[in-house]
Amino acid sequence: MSPLIELLHVRREFDDGRIVAVDDVSLTIARGEAVAIVGRSGSGKSTLLNLMCGLDVPTRGEIRFAGARISGRLAWAEIRARHIGFVFQNFCLIPTLTGRENIEVAMLGQLAGAGRRRQRASELLARLSLAGRADLHPMRLSGGERQRLAIARALANQPQVIVADEPTGSLDSETGRSVIDIIAGLNRELGTTLVIVTHDREVAAVCDRRIEMVDGRVGGGGLAGGGYAPGAAGPAGAAVRHE
Amino acid sequence: MNELTLPLRNLWGRPIRTGLTTLGIAVAIAGFVALTGLTRGVEHSYSAGMEESGADLVVTQKNVFSLMSSSVPETLGPTLAAVAGVEAVSATLLSITTVDDAANIVIAAWPRRSFLWQTVELGEGRLPDDGENWEVVLGRTIAEALGKSVGDTVELQFQPYRIVGIAAFATVLNQNIAMVPLEGLQELIGRQGAVTLYQVRLARPVDATGIAAVKARLSEAAVDYEVSVTSEFASNIRLISLFQAIASTISLVVLAMASIGVANTLLMAVNERTYEIGILAALGWRPGRILRLILIEGLVMSLLGGAIGIGLGIAVMHLASRSHFAAGLMEPYLSASVVVEALISVLVAGPLGALYPAWRATRIVPAEALRMT
Repeated sequence: MSPLIELLHVRREFDDGRIVAVDDVSLTIARGEAVAIVGRSGSGKSTLLNLMCGLDVPTRGEIRFAGARISGRLAWAEIRARHIGFVFQNFCLIPTLTGRENIEVAMLGQLAGAGRRRQRASELLARLSLAGRADLHPMRLSGGERQRLAIARALANQPQVIVADEPTGSLDSETGRSVIDIIAGLNRELGTTLVIVTHDREVAAVCDRRIEMVDGRVGGGGLAGGGYAPGAAGPAGAAVRHE
Repeated sequence: MNELTLPLRNLWGRPIRTGLTTLGIAVAIAGFVALTGLTRGVEHSYSAGMEESGADLVVTQKNVFSLMSSSVPETLGPTLAAVAGVEAVSATLLSITTVDDAANIVIAAWPRRSFLWQTVELGEGRLPDDGENWEVVLGRTIAEALGKSVGDTVELQFQPYRIVGIAAFATVLNQNIAMVPLEGLQELIGRQGAVTLYQVRLARPVDATGIAAVKARLSEAAVDYEVSVTSEFASNIRLISLFQAIASTISLVVLAMASIGVANTLLMAVNERTYEIGILAALGWRPGRILRLILIEGLVMSLLGGAIGIGLGIAVMHLASRSHFAAGLMEPYLSASVVVEALISVLVAGPLGALYPAWRATRIVPAEALRMT
């Protein structure tokens, strides 16, 4: 499988270098792969995910998407709009828009024609069993419905990769399982690459591979230029390494 | 859903703030329209009044500050009358006074034989008799305002005048004018041998080229004086230019305040909606699209405020022109150019105010914004 996302010696510092959230991480995620990024709170897994999709900017290092080095706001905006779908723990829905509009907003600038955007949103709502909730605002939806709506939005532009940050974190266990089933199904049925940040073993279990973050490093030591060996255990460490 | 859905929803979602900002813009535009309209109304009122009297050209003192301060010797009359293409000239002495503490009144005094008397459309009564200095013809509006009719007396410059006629002019200036014989007014205000201006009527038929040619000849004949086409002469009066400068300055300050209001509102909105903007950035919205989102919000408030402001300005302009202070001196004058200028101002002031908040919105780092839940 060809690499889709590659991180080369990526480092992310905060507070003028006093906090190192991600330290010299190199890894590769292949097309069609389902990867779980696990680790304790503050281990740097969410920061790593943000760096992978340009939501955050590395202090050092290089990030490649589909073989091309990506840098700059515009380039990342283009990549995210066309190729990456997001699912967040807190849903990240826009409260002033209805369910349907929350999906359509992701297609503005990507799919021409309000009618086509509306039709595509309707298809996704139906696919996620939300057809009857299309015109409700997020506040009037249950947690599970909100997360399904977020998944529908993530699929709006038929992305190559779905990145999910603690997608079950705000859900009860039963709703969480159904959400994970949907996300895992996308990987199985459509071959969509999946990157999930989680501290939930059950969620991690549906993935092909686990990357464990410890103190901002992969598996505690980091693997220069290579991937994380599944099953490798890193030492439990402090939330964030301070230098 | 389209490009406007989100900005309109955002504005609608905060009705009080949107309403107050829009109102601020509306007041600014109303001020602009009212001030500009009234200032141009003064100019228009003077020019239209002069045009209605049938004169084609006006000769005044050069670089005159206010029309009333212009002084032209009566000896200039024959010189002007001798210029080729001139059919008739008339001296005009102008003065402004207050009658019964109720209204401003412009007194226009003409010689007995002036062609200007022949242009007076009498609604009732007659023109002053030859040799009678203390008879007056009042414009209909001022006569009604004073509750005077033919046969009554009105005191002008501390001199009782007998009202012998009521004129039915169309222009605001002439509706509020008192027409009296020249000799009497010269004596009253101590301007013997001098008048305010000369009005010149050209031989018919006349066209723009002909007017320009006679104007050039008159300028040569009266080198120390300003010769203007009647429709443009008011713009040569410095007092009117000063009014316009004051109106423009006040309008500019008010518009700048409106622009700052828009900036303040949108800056607050951007700060409050950092999370939402972070979501849009995470979804792949380009900085340009995010910039457009905020600019549209500024533009919508501006256009709405502009539309309300133009209506409000027209209303204020009419109210102000009807006040005792302004009656007869200015008229509401709403030209297409004032509306266009108001719209251009609002289209500049609003988005200008929105620019900085919009730029701030594009600088939001999605990862940081999404942590603000």
